[in-house]
Amino acid sequence: MQTQGIKKAPSASVVIPHYLFGAVSFLVCSVLIVFSTDAFSGHYFHPKLLSITHLMALGWGSMIIFGALYQLLPVILDTPLYNESLAKITFGIFAAGSIYLAFSFWNFYVGIHIQIASCLILTAFILFTFNIIQTARNIPKWPIEADFIVTSTVWLLLTGIVGILMAFNFRYAFLPKSHLLFLKIHAHLGIAGWFVLLIIGVASKLIPMFLLSHQLNKKKLSYSYYFINIGLIALSADLFFYEGSRLLTIYAGSILTGILFFITYLFDAFKERARKKLDVGLKHSFLAFIIFLLPLFLGVIFSIKSSTNGETLQQVYLIYGIAIFFGFITSLILGQTFKTLPFIVWLYKYQKRAGKEKIPLPKDLYSEKLATLQFIVYIIALITTIAGVLLNRMPLARTGAVLLLLTAILYNLNVFKIVFIRTVPKS
Amino acid sequence: METFNEANKIEIETYDILKTVIDPELGINIIDLGLIYKIEYDNHNGTIKIEITLSTKGCPMGDVIMDNIHSKIGEKFPTLKLNLSLVWEPAWSPDLVTPAGRKALGMSY
Repeated sequence: MQTQGIKKAPSASVVIPHYLFGAVSFLVCSVLIVFSTDAFSGHYFHPKLLSITHLMALGWGSMIIFGALYQLLPVILDTPLYNESLAKITFGIFAAGSIYLAFSFWNFYVGIHIQIASCLILTAFILFTFNIIQTARNIPKWPIEADFIVTSTVWLLLTGIVGILMAFNFRYAFLPKSHLLFLKIHAHLGIAGWFVLLIIGVASKLIPMFLLSHQLNKKKLSYSYYFINIGLIALSADLFFYEGSRLLTIYAGSILTGILFFITYLFDAFKERARKKLDVGLKHSFLAFIIFLLPLFLGVIFSIKSSTNGETLQQVYLIYGIAIFFGFITSLILGQTFKTLPFIVWLYKYQKRAGKEKIPLPKDLYSEKLATLQFIVYIIALITTIAGVLLNRMPLARTGAVLLLLTAILYNLNVFKIVFIRTVPKS
Repeated sequence: METFNEANKIEIETYDILKTVIDPELGINIIDLGLIYKIEYDNHNGTIKIEITLSTKGCPMGDVIMDNIHSKIGEKFPTLKLNLSLVWEPAWSPDLVTPAGRKALGMSY
């Protein structure tokens, strides 16, 4: 008979600031989009788009992932976080860097401002990676999820390094190849290497846990890991050395195959689930993976770009970015927030009172009505925005942006309710 | 016979107490979730032995559930000792969920 103790989660003061900062960043991004829909009709290398994309990727996506990961490492890797103080320092540097970088891009201050901002962000990435790798060194039994998480932090670091090179290249122009080529490498390291690998590592543990799914084929996760990483290494090298050879489609296909292995794993978890009733958090999460099929499909199109004319390609590039940042990553965070944040706050506020007096459940800490409304408004917002950009109809895109802003407001109301409002137990 | 009845009574009361311990994520009690493998009272040393499992290793609600059991059993039987063991074998499966639990989860039964 094997028994095992359960590790304690980090203190709420480590995790909660990440959620609050992320929620406000999402709100700010939504406001910025409403006032910059004109930028959606041109090239993706536009100061406003760069500003919004970086605030979405750093202040929103990565910030919440950092916080959630600190909380979830004991669950996934069966070991506590290496250093909580380091996590707090990382948060401060990362928050300052994200704001400064978004500000610098918005005003296109490509000199000292963007250099300082990118240094702050790379410093935060180094500290974060160090904390995660030190944590992983204490894992009693190394699971496949750890491969995904640790490798994703290495890709994050590489994304930051390419980013800082580009930041300095604005002023000193020392890079041997075009800035846009490095932007492509930077974006794909960040998206496929950091976001996708990390999300797979975390979701492959959490989704079956929330669904009560058992006896899943973990070999699919191993295949997923190798296909994605081999494809990403080859794709980055090909872009760097050959600026995109004919083999690019094969490398993109390898990444796609890896992601599809993971999606079939998720499908198995969904099919085998004991928990049949899905709450709004899980609905949002599954919606994220459905949306994800769109950029995957578009990614393969880009690798065969000769079949598409230049002007159409610019619109499709924008849709690719929107589907990843406002679709996949945003929908997943919007959903997983309701699966993680109420629990984190609940532990902090109510754990010691459990069993001694009547207390609310974690799901009572947020308004399910608001969350459901947010889910519906979000779907309409995303469809409307993508349709507006694809058809080059700016009033439609602006309507989508306003609805996205409404989604962000509804989300923020719930996040602030969870963290700051005292909940009365349901009778 | 009297000893057996006393032990049996304590085990039944323990079972009833465990029915009030809720998994905070699912909102279902741990008996109906099939998480309790054994309830045994040893009247020689006054110890209640409970074997519990979790639906997933590292389940973040594990601490809460274990603390809750300690608190409720301690309140009901302040003079008895509690030997609470977390076990992983046999692994939990949905087959262990009671009909009431299956209904709450929305499973067909």
